[in-house]
Amino acid sequence: MAGFILRRFGIMILTALCLTFVVFFLTNLAPNLEKLAKTQGNARMTDAEVTSWLANRGYDQNIFVKYGEWLGVVPGYVIEQPDGTYRGRCFDQAEAIPDDAPRFCGVVQGDWGYSSVFRDEVLGIIGLRLGLTGKLMFWVMMVMVPSALILGVLAGMREGSRLDRGLSSISIVTTATPEYVSGVILITVFASSAVGLKWFKGTATSAMENATFENFFLPVITIALYGMGYIARMTRASMAEVMQQQYIRTAILKGVPFRQVVLKHALRNALIAPFTVIMLQFPWLLNGVVIVETLFNYKGFGWTLVQAASNNDIELLLGVSVVSVFVVLITQLISDIGYVYLNPRIRVS
Amino acid sequence: MSFVKTRIHPAAEMHAQEHLDGQIDRREFLTRATALGVGAAAAYGLIGATAPGKAMAQEAQQGGTLRIQMELPALKDPRVADWSEIANQTRGWLEYLVEYQRDGSLRPMLLEGWEVNDDATVYTLKVRQGVTWNNGDAFTAQDVLHNITRWCDQEVEGNSMAGRLKTLVDPETKQLLDGAVKVMDDHTLEITLPRPDITLIASFADYPAAVVHQSYDNGDPAANPIGTGPYLPVEVSPNVRTVIERNADHEWWGTEVYGGPYLDRIEFTDYGTDPAAWLAAIESEEVDMLYESVGEFIEIMDSLGLEKSDAVTANTLVIRPNQVAEVNGMKPYADARVRRALAMACDNSVLLELGYAGLGEVAENHHVCPIHPEYAKIDAPVYDPEGAMALLEEAGMADYEHELICLDSGFQRDTSDAVAAQLRDAGINVKRTILPGSTFWNDWAKFPFSATEWNMRPLGVQVLALAYRSGEAWNESGFANEQFDSLLEEAMAIADAGQRSEIMAKIEKLMQDEGVIIQPYWRSIYRHYLAKVIGAEAHPTFEIHVYKLGLSA
Amino acid sequence: MEPLSWTGALAPLITPLWIAAGALVALAILRFVVSLLIVPAQSVALPDGTLTAGSGPLELIDRAVRWALGSVLALLALFLIGGVILDLSAGIIGGMARRLLPVWIALVATLALSYTFRRRLGLYGKLFDSTIGTVGFALVMFWVFAAFFGAMDLIATFDPLAQSGAMKNEPPGTPFDKMIGDVDEGAYPVYLLGGDNLGRDVFSRMVSGAWVVVQIAPLATAFAFMVGITLGLPAAYFGGKFDTILTFLANLILAFPVILLFYLLVTPEIIETGIPTYMSAVIFLFPILFLTILLNARYHTRPALRTGLLVAVILGLGWIYLSLISEPFGVLPVLPEALDLFDIPGGILTVFVSVVFVNAPTVFRIVRGLALDIKTRDYVAAAQTRGEGPWYIMLWEILPNARGPLIVDFCLRVGYTTILLGTLGFFGLGLPPESPDWGSTINDGRRLLAIYPHPALAPAIALLTLVLGLNLLADGLREESLRD
Repeated sequence: MAGFILRRFGIMILTALCLTFVVFFLTNLAPNLEKLAKTQGNARMTDAEVTSWLANRGYDQNIFVKYGEWLGVVPGYVIEQPDGTYRGRCFDQAEAIPDDAPRFCGVVQGDWGYSSVFRDEVLGIIGLRLGLTGKLMFWVMMVMVPSALILGVLAGMREGSRLDRGLSSISIVTTATPEYVSGVILITVFASSAVGLKWFKGTATSAMENATFENFFLPVITIALYGMGYIARMTRASMAEVMQQQYIRTAILKGVPFRQVVLKHALRNALIAPFTVIMLQFPWLLNGVVIVETLFNYKGFGWTLVQAASNNDIELLLGVSVVSVFVVLITQLISDIGYVYLNPRIRVS
Repeated sequence: MSFVKTRIHPAAEMHAQEHLDGQIDRREFLTRATALGVGAAAAYGLIGATAPGKAMAQEAQQGGTLRIQMELPALKDPRVADWSEIANQTRGWLEYLVEYQRDGSLRPMLLEGWEVNDDATVYTLKVRQGVTWNNGDAFTAQDVLHNITRWCDQEVEGNSMAGRLKTLVDPETKQLLDGAVKVMDDHTLEITLPRPDITLIASFADYPAAVVHQSYDNGDPAANPIGTGPYLPVEVSPNVRTVIERNADHEWWGTEVYGGPYLDRIEFTDYGTDPAAWLAAIESEEVDMLYESVGEFIEIMDSLGLEKSDAVTANTLVIRPNQVAEVNGMKPYADARVRRALAMACDNSVLLELGYAGLGEVAENHHVCPIHPEYAKIDAPVYDPEGAMALLEEAGMADYEHELICLDSGFQRDTSDAVAAQLRDAGINVKRTILPGSTFWNDWAKFPFSATEWNMRPLGVQVLALAYRSGEAWNESGFANEQFDSLLEEAMAIADAGQRSEIMAKIEKLMQDEGVIIQPYWRSIYRHYLAKVIGAEAHPTFEIHVYKLGLSA
Repeated sequence: MEPLSWTGALAPLITPLWIAAGALVALAILRFVVSLLIVPAQSVALPDGTLTAGSGPLELIDRAVRWALGSVLALLALFLIGGVILDLSAGIIGGMARRLLPVWIALVATLALSYTFRRRLGLYGKLFDSTIGTVGFALVMFWVFAAFFGAMDLIATFDPLAQSGAMKNEPPGTPFDKMIGDVDEGAYPVYLLGGDNLGRDVFSRMVSGAWVVVQIAPLATAFAFMVGITLGLPAAYFGGKFDTILTFLANLILAFPVILLFYLLVTPEIIETGIPTYMSAVIFLFPILFLTILLNARYHTRPALRTGLLVAVILGLGWIYLSLISEPFGVLPVLPEALDLFDIPGGILTVFVSVVFVNAPTVFRIVRGLALDIKTRDYVAAAQTRGEGPWYIMLWEILPNARGPLIVDFCLRVGYTTILLGTLGFFGLGLPPESPDWGSTINDGRRLLAIYPHPALAPAIALLTLVLGLNLLADGLREESLRD
C-alpha cells in the first residue's frame, strides 16, 4: 500500500510539473507578456517601453530559466536598472544587492511569488480564497450528498417503478440545467424585486465574513442541484444492480421486510460506486464554483482564478493551477484507496 | 468662504453680464468664473444669487460607517492614474489644489485662491494657510512646486498630467519649463506661461492631480500614506475591498472651512462589472451607495425606493475610426469619405435610445457639449444612409468589412451593437468584436474602429486638446490636422467664451467634415443610494468627495 | 394592432388544461402516498397462463393518472394543431406552432417511419421500445429540424441581428414597429417572443441559436471521438510505452480545470499567436487519418479499390482540411485564396478546438477501457489467428463491438458540449458578441432578468430541453443496448 501511494505521489508531482510548465508557457507568450506590462506599467506604453519594462523585470529570459527561477532551482535574476539600482527576483529594488538576499527563491524555498493583480503574496491569497471556497463546498456537500443518495436509493430500490421513473426524471432535469441557467432562474424567483419573494439575497459577498442562511442558500443550492442529479443517477444504477444480486433476492424471498433488506443488506454495497463518484466530483465542481462565485460575487478560489486569468497574473495563475491539479489528483487517489477499503474483493497489486 | 478676493477678473464680470443677458446658463457661468479665480460665493454674488449653503451637511451625524460599491483597480502613482476610481480611493488622504463641484464651479482646496491676469498668462496661486500633512509637516508653496514639477515630467510613461499642463512643459527637456513657476513666499506662487492657457486651474482639479508629499516614492500611494486629508487607508486589496478610516491624530484644515468629515469609516467593495451584481448588492443592503446606476437598472432601482441623483455631464461614448491604423496592409480610414460615410449612416437619436435607453442628450459628432462654456451651435450631422453608401462606393470601400471593437460592458456594447445594426441597414458590412476590460484597455487607442468611453472635462477645449491634437498620447482617432491644431491653440488663448465659441464653431465643423468620430450622445449619469446617506449626489466626473459624505442623524 | 395574447382564440382550452394538469399532479402525489401504505394487488395467473392485473385501490388510481395524463397530452396536441390551423388568431402559441410547421411535419414523418420500420433498424429501431428514449429522440430531433429549417430561413420571422428601436424589451406578442421609417410590406406582424434589450426578435434569435449549437456541438464531439478512437484503440491494443505515455498525457489534460484551460486558450492574445490554428491543424488531421486507416485496413487485400478510395478520401478531405486551416491573413496561409473554400472566424475555430481538446482525453479513456476488455474476447483471438492486421482487428472487430457504450456516451457528450459552449458564452469567451447562440444570449439576458425575463428564458428553456433530450436519448439507448 505504501509503495502504491508513493508511486501515485510521484506521478502527481510529475503531472503538476508538466501542467505548471504548460501554464507557464502559455502565460509567457509574447502577447500575454505585453498585456501584463501594460496593465502593470501603463496602458499607453509604446512597444519600446514594453520591451524595456519586460527586460528590466527579467521577463525576457529563456522560458526554462524563468520556470527554473519560479521553481527555485535556478538562481533568481538580478538586473541592473537604467537608473543604477538593482532589481532582483528575491528582493524588490535596491541601491545595491542586499547581502541577506537569498540566491534562490521559488516554490522549493516556499516562495510562491507575488500576485500582480492583488499586490500580495500568492500563498496568502490562495490560502484565504481557498478557505472561502472550502466553506462554500462544505455546505454544497452537506446539501448535495445526502439528498442525492436518498434520491438514488429510493429510485434504485425498485427499478422501473413509477417512483423510479419520477425521481430519475428529476435527476436528469437537474443534470441538464447548468449553473448559469439555474442560478439565473433562482435569483429571479427568490431574490429579485420583480417577482417580489425576496426570501434570499442575490449576492454572497457578505457571506465571506458572515454566512447566513439568507445570503448563502442560493449559491449553495445552485451548485448542489447540478451535481446532485449525476450522483443520484450513479447511486440509482449501483442500487439497482445490488438489488438484483442473488443474496438480496434470497433475503426478499425469505420474507425479510423490504425496508430491512434495503437498509441492512443493500445499502452498504450500493454506496461503493457513488463514493468514488462523489470524490471525483470535487474537481468537476470547480467549474460550477467558478460560475457561481462569479454570479454571486463570492470572492473565493473560482473568482480568483477568473481574475488571475483575465489579467494574466502569471504567478497567481501558477499557484491556482498547482492547487487545482493537486485537488484533482488527491481526490483520485482517495477515491482509489477508498474503493479498495470499501470493496474487499479488490486488492492493490 | 474664508479667503478674501481682492480683485475680480474682468472676464468674470463680463460672463456675469452674459449670464444675466441669458447667453449662458448658471452652470457655464460658474465654471468660467471660478476658473478665472473668482470664488464660488463671489461668483454667485456677481449674478445676484446666493451660493447653496451647507444645509445638507448639517443634518449629518458625526461618525458611522458607509459602504460604497465601486470597482477597485490597483492603486498607482496618482499622476499616471487612469481611472476615476483610483482617485476616489486615495481622495481620503491625498487632496487636490482645486475641487470640481457638482454645479460646475471650481472650489479652492489646498489653494486659498488664485488670480489670473487678463490674457491668462500669469497665474498667482495663494496656498492655504494652516494646512498640515498628517506627519506634522506644514504644507507650503514648496509642496505645490514639487507637485507641479512632478506633473510636468513627460518622461514618466503614461503621465497624463503632462498632457494637461502642456503649456508648462518644456518640449526640449520634457520637464517643467525653467523658471515658469516661482515661489514668491511660503504661501504664494507665480506661474508665468509662455502662451495663454485658460485650462490650467481646471487641470489642477482633474483626478490625476492629487497632491503628494515630497517624500513620496512614486510607488503604491497607500504604502506610506502621507497626505493632507482627514482619512487614512486601513485596508487596500485591489479588486476586493478598500477601507479608509478617520485619522484621529490629524487635525484636518477643512473642518472649519467646509465642514466635515462626518464618517469614521468608509468601505469600498468591488462587485465586478456587471450592473446586475450592483443591483443585487444594494437590494440586499450590502452597500449603502452605488458608484453609478446604468441603463434599465435606473428604472428598477427607482422602484426600490432608493434615493436617485443625476448629473448632466459631458460624459460620452465615441465610436471612432483610427486614421492611421493598418488593416491587412492598408489604412481603411485614412480617407475622410469613408469616415464621413460611417457617421452619415448613423442616426444618433436612435443610438441614444437603443444604446443608452434615452438617458442623455443627442450629440453632434464633434465632442463639444452644450454644457461647455464655449459650445457653439452648428448644424446637426446629416443622417443619410444612401448617401453614405454612395460615398463609400466613391472611395472604393463599399465591400470592405469593418470590424467594430468595443468593451464588454453594458451601454458601450449596446450602443456599438446599435451602430453595427445601422451600418448594416445602410448596406455596410460590419463585424463585431467585444473584448473584456483587461484586453480592451491594452490597445484601446490602436484599434482600427472602436468605441471608447470619455469622461467629461470642465472645458470643451480640454478634451479636444487631450484626444484630437496631433500626436497626443490619448489621440485614439489618429487625427492629425494642422488646421485643427492651430485653431485649437488659438481657442485656448481666449479667455472670453463668447469669442472662443466663434473659433469653436470652425473646430466643430472641421470635426464633422473630417468624420473624426461618431458621437451619439452625452450621457447623464445616475447614482442611487439609501435615503440615510448624505452628500453622495452624482458628480459629473464621478468624484466622491469623502469629507462630504455622512449618514443622516 | 393589439398585442397578442398567448393563446388567442384557443383561450377556452386553458381552463380544461389546468384542471387536467392539476388532477395529474394531485393524483401522482396521491399515488405515491398510497403506495407507501398499501401493497400492490398481486397479479393473478389465469389458467391459460396469462396474467391479469389485480384491481386494488392503487390500480384504480393508476388508471386515473393515465386518464389525466392522456387528457393533458390531448389538450396540448389540440393547442398545436389549432395553432397550426389558426395561425396568429390562436395567439403567440398559434403563431409559433404555424412557424414551426416544417418541423412538425418532418418530426412526425421521422417518428412515424422509424416506428413503423423499427424492427429492421437495429439499435436505432429498438430505441422506440423505450418511452424515455422516444421522448428524448423527439426533443433532440425537434431542435435539429428547427435548426436545419431555421438555417434554410423557413422559420425565423426576422433577421436575428436586425434591431428595432421601438421593440426594445417589449414583451412577447408585441406588434412589430420601427423607430425610423415604416414597417416593410410583408414583414412579420409581431415579435412572437418579444424583443431583447437591443430590440432584436427573441424567437428568431432562439431559432438561429439552435443552428449554431446544432452545428458546433455534435461536430466538435465527433472530432473528439475521432481523436479519442484513433489514439485509444492502439493504446489499448499495443499497450507498452505508447500506452503509458498517451494515458499520462490524457490524465494530464484531465487534471486541468476546464475553465482554466478555456481562459488560457480562448483569449485574443492566444489567437494572435496562432496556437489554436496549429492545434486545429493537428486535430483536423485525425478524421483523414482515421478514414484512411479504416479503409486501408478493410480493403488492403483489394489494392485497386483501396487505392481509388484512398485517393478520393485524401484528395477530398485534404482540400477541405487545407481550406479549414489556411486563412488569408492567419498564421498558416498555406492555400492560395482562389482555392480556399471557406474561412472560419478565429473565435469559432478556437472554441471548436478547445472543446475538442477538452473532450478527447475522456473519450480516449473510455475507448481504451472498452478496447482492453474486448481485446480478450475469443473473436479477437480468432481474427489474430486468421492473420488479420492489427488495424483491421482494432477498427473492424473491436470498434463495432464497443459501439453501444460509445453511442450512449456520444449523446451525453453532445449535451455536455452544449453546456460547455454556454459556459464560454457566460464568460464572454470565444463566439462573436452578437452571436445568437444560447449561452451568449442567456448571458446577455440575465443582466435584465429581474424586469424582462423573456430574452433570457427563451434560450434557457431551449438549452434545457435540448440537453434534457440528449440525456433521455442516452438513457433510452443505454437501457435498450443493455437488453441485448
